[in-house]
Amino acid sequence: MAGGGEALGSGGGKPKRGQKNSKRKKKKRIGFKLDMTPLVDIAFLLLTFFMLTTTMTTPQTMKMQVPPEIDTPVDVKQSELFTILIRKDEKLFWKAGNDPAQPLQLGELQKLAKEKNLEQPNRLITLVAIDQSVAYGNVIGVLDKLNQAEVDITKEMKGEKRERKFTVSNLTDEQRKEIEGL
Amino acid sequence: MSKVKMKRQGFVIDMTPLVDITFLLLTFFMFTAKFKSEAESEQKFKIIRPTSSADTTKLPEKDLAIIKIAIDTANQNDTSYYYEVVNEADRSAIWESVKELSPEQRLKRQLKCDSTLLEALIGRTRGTNPNTRFAIDADKRIRYKYVFTAMDALRRKRATQFNFVTNKPQ
Repeated sequence: MAGGGEALGSGGGKPKRGQKNSKRKKKKRIGFKLDMTPLVDIAFLLLTFFMLTTTMTTPQTMKMQVPPEIDTPVDVKQSELFTILIRKDEKLFWKAGNDPAQPLQLGELQKLAKEKNLEQPNRLITLVAIDQSVAYGNVIGVLDKLNQAEVDITKEMKGEKRERKFTVSNLTDEQRKEIEGL
Repeated sequence: MSKVKMKRQGFVIDMTPLVDITFLLLTFFMFTAKFKSEAESEQKFKIIRPTSSADTTKLPEKDLAIIKIAIDTANQNDTSYYYEVVNEADRSAIWESVKELSPEQRLKRQLKCDSTLLEALIGRTRGTNPNTRFAIDADKRIRYKYVFTAMDALRRKRATQFNFVTNKPQ
């Protein structure tokens, strides 16, 4: 490609081979060209493959603890019991001890749980009673709010050791009856 | 005389920056890619996980047993349990030790099971590798009673600490 022009300028006649080579100035090669097309092809192929197979959201976990099975029932003070009830239609209610149940909005739950826990730190037992036919996603929503409240509580208690007392259970018939008409 | 116009044959583009960027992206995606486990590619259902924001701990990668509760795509009303053990060696040991399984079930990476078989599997898992952590990976649309049954099975086998698998809110 590069030698085409010079061949014309080197005078007429047919120069001998050896002469031609010695007279010609050796051109210093500046850089070189590489056909990158196949490289790019493969790179893009791999790129699309990895882009399509990657999922960016990695699953995370939510810790859960249930009390072990025990034969002897443990007595619990009514005043230390904070119950959250989830009705069939996914409406929330709360009650403290034996007090009548009151309706509750999901947005208020975090604040309420924090207040109640700070009134009796490390003594209050939170019980979430759930109707069997509530969607699991809503249950997690409630537990997540309680976990968020837990973060606030630990912050408020400033270094004091926090012992969480928390459990989930089925809605009993008694509880169901209580919140039915509300 | 006009010059003979040479027909241009092809043209050259400098592809270097393009290649640079491409490789940059390629390496990024290669390092962040996490492939589906073999058990996951076997399954015919998709679990829509609930979201949670308070606890952002990642799911451990080994010593893990997952109880999947999903809505069967074939039959919308049917809910089934699937049991998966992540550690390869533990899994074959557990699958071998449960007598109820048929030979072809033993080849499966995750087992479709009912609540009694689930409980047996949990018991065997705890016997085989006591460090195994349990996770419940349930679809957010299923009713709570199915999760409760799984939790009850865990409780009866004294696995009182376990995890719910959730997603980050978008």
